[in-house]
Amino acid sequence: MKNIAITIFIVLLVAVLVLFLVSFQVRETQFALIVTFGEATSEDQIKEPGWYFRWPFPIQRIHKFDSRMRILEVEVTETPTKGDVPIIVNTYVVWKIAEPLKFFKSVGAVVYAEDYLRSQLSNTQGEVIGQYYFSQFVNSDKSKIEIKEIREKMLSALQRAVIDDYGIEIKALGIKQLKVSEDVSKAVFARMIDERGRRTAETISQGDAEAKKIRDDAIYKEKELIAAAEARAKIIRGRGDAEAAKYYKMLEADPEFAMFLREIDAAKEILKERATIILREGSWLVSLLKEMPNIKPREPSEPE
Amino acid sequence: MTDQNQESKDTQYDSELDAAGRSLSEALKISFVILKIIMVVLVGLFLFSGFKTVGPGELALVLRFGEIRGLGEDRLLKPGLHWVLPYPVEEIIRIPTERKIDLPIDSFWYYQSPSEISRGPKDTTRPGPTLNPIRDGYCITRSEKQSQTDSNSTGSDYNIVHCMWLLTYQIDKPEVFFRSVYVEDEDVKPGQIYFNVMKESITPLLKCMFDDAVVATMVNYTIDDVLTSYSEIPDRVEKLMQEKLDRIESGIVVNVKLTRSTWPRQVDDAFQNLVRASQKRQAAISQAKSDAKVTLNEAASRAQEKISDAGAYRMKVVETARANAEYLQKLLPEYRKRPELVLQRIYLDAIEYVLNNVDEKVIIQPTEGGKGSELWIYMNRDPKLKPKSEKEQSP
Repeated sequence: MKNIAITIFIVLLVAVLVLFLVSFQVRETQFALIVTFGEATSEDQIKEPGWYFRWPFPIQRIHKFDSRMRILEVEVTETPTKGDVPIIVNTYVVWKIAEPLKFFKSVGAVVYAEDYLRSQLSNTQGEVIGQYYFSQFVNSDKSKIEIKEIREKMLSALQRAVIDDYGIEIKALGIKQLKVSEDVSKAVFARMIDERGRRTAETISQGDAEAKKIRDDAIYKEKELIAAAEARAKIIRGRGDAEAAKYYKMLEADPEFAMFLREIDAAKEILKERATIILREGSWLVSLLKEMPNIKPREPSEPE
Repeated sequence: MTDQNQESKDTQYDSELDAAGRSLSEALKISFVILKIIMVVLVGLFLFSGFKTVGPGELALVLRFGEIRGLGEDRLLKPGLHWVLPYPVEEIIRIPTERKIDLPIDSFWYYQSPSEISRGPKDTTRPGPTLNPIRDGYCITRSEKQSQTDSNSTGSDYNIVHCMWLLTYQIDKPEVFFRSVYVEDEDVKPGQIYFNVMKESITPLLKCMFDDAVVATMVNYTIDDVLTSYSEIPDRVEKLMQEKLDRIESGIVVNVKLTRSTWPRQVDDAFQNLVRASQKRQAAISQAKSDAKVTLNEAASRAQEKISDAGAYRMKVVETARANAEYLQKLLPEYRKRPELVLQRIYLDAIEYVLNNVDEKVIIQPTEGGKGSELWIYMNRDPKLKPKSEKEQSP
């Protein structure tokens, strides 16, 4: 009994050890290449994760490559554009190992791949940027900006250079910084100051003009409003006069008497205040003041 | 005796031998037991090492022989305690999916030495007249369209602006992320947290792609857009960056905020002047607006007054006419009967009224044999008369 347990244990131990020698795992994030006596073909590439068998060392050697995306930046460089205006760009690429065999044969390790990519990238950068004017990077007219095209062009140029021979796939390429040289920045500042100065003056005069317009509008509206009110007032007065005219007809019963009444009213109104009356001798009031009038009662002739 | 001795010696030897053998076999037995216990403990430990916890806010992938295990929802382990087959058969990869990681980006800000930063925003040191393209960060924005000049000249078609951003990212698709984004997981040393290693590994990638998105977006805007719009531009940057991240299948989602933006310190005065001018303009306009309001209010009240005056006039005219007419109608029968009396009564009433109301009455006696009377009247000789009359009129 004891012996059986021990045997099983030992057998298991040996089996595990042997398995370690003749098999290997490829993780989800890896590619592997089986090299037999220093030789490998495209069939020896393993791109699917899992558990694989192998001949033990030194017959076969296993090389594993990380299959995930990596980033690579190049140093900031001043590159002349078409028309010799320099621009300072900083590009990067996102790359990954796509073909383990080609990669193994050409560069072998990530460090060398990065060196190679870096030099390729600065070549491509110089080449592509040299085909464009500075104004195609930045322009007051949006439609003339071609950064996207420039990037695409660099990407496809680089892709051509690396995928077939090096087993490297470029997933993305971008421009990280877009700058101008120190001297040019000075010129830009001078122009920016000018432009602001012009806009400052513009703003002030615009403000004055707008304020004036608002006031003028108000005055115009005021005039309009008053005119409209006057017109309406006139209509109302006219209507009043017209209504009054109806009553004037009633006065036609005795125009002379009506006129007298009106005159009396007018006299009362005119002499209501701040008047000085100068009475000459001969007026009835004066004669009244002078002496008693000589009147006698009349004989009653008709009964009331 | 000697035989006996010999015998007893033999038996003694035998028994000694026996004892040695026994103790040996006993020792073996004990060591077997110990071995067994060790085996059981080892197996137990081995199996026990399969217990793994997935922390809150994490999801985990299980690799069986390097390949992601499970189908559909089972591919991701939720937070909690799980048992997986121990290494090297299965491996667990925890990925923080809930956590939002902030990544402040200052690569578009001018260089500040540590002493400048410590002095804070009130720093008044004069900046150099230029920007060093290696040291100082900035963005290039396009100019207003109006300043059309030679399109190939330098320094005429764009502006420089500084900005600071906050990039927030989160791992959205753990499986995609794990499979395609490089993380230095081989080097996770004991005591190092996977999360930090992951963060360090993907920061350069995110920074590069973010900067790219910013550069490509900013050339489409003017400096004034950048200084004022804190939502449209970040939205566009975010969209652009997300597109890029999706295209390379990163499994990461991002959120972008523009935290600060400013004009270069070298042109500060000119920009401040414009800001002040704009404020002045605003002030002038709002002053004009309030003036206009006053004018219109006054006009409205004047107009109203005119109309109500007209209404009053209308009423007065009509009323007067009606009163006159009615008065005439009332008097007419009496007048027709006794015209003289009625006339005289009305006339004298009026005279009485007038003479009662006049301020002064002057009676002139004609001078005998003279050329006639001569009268000098000094108008308004008594200034007190005026106020009195005004007082009467006002109510």
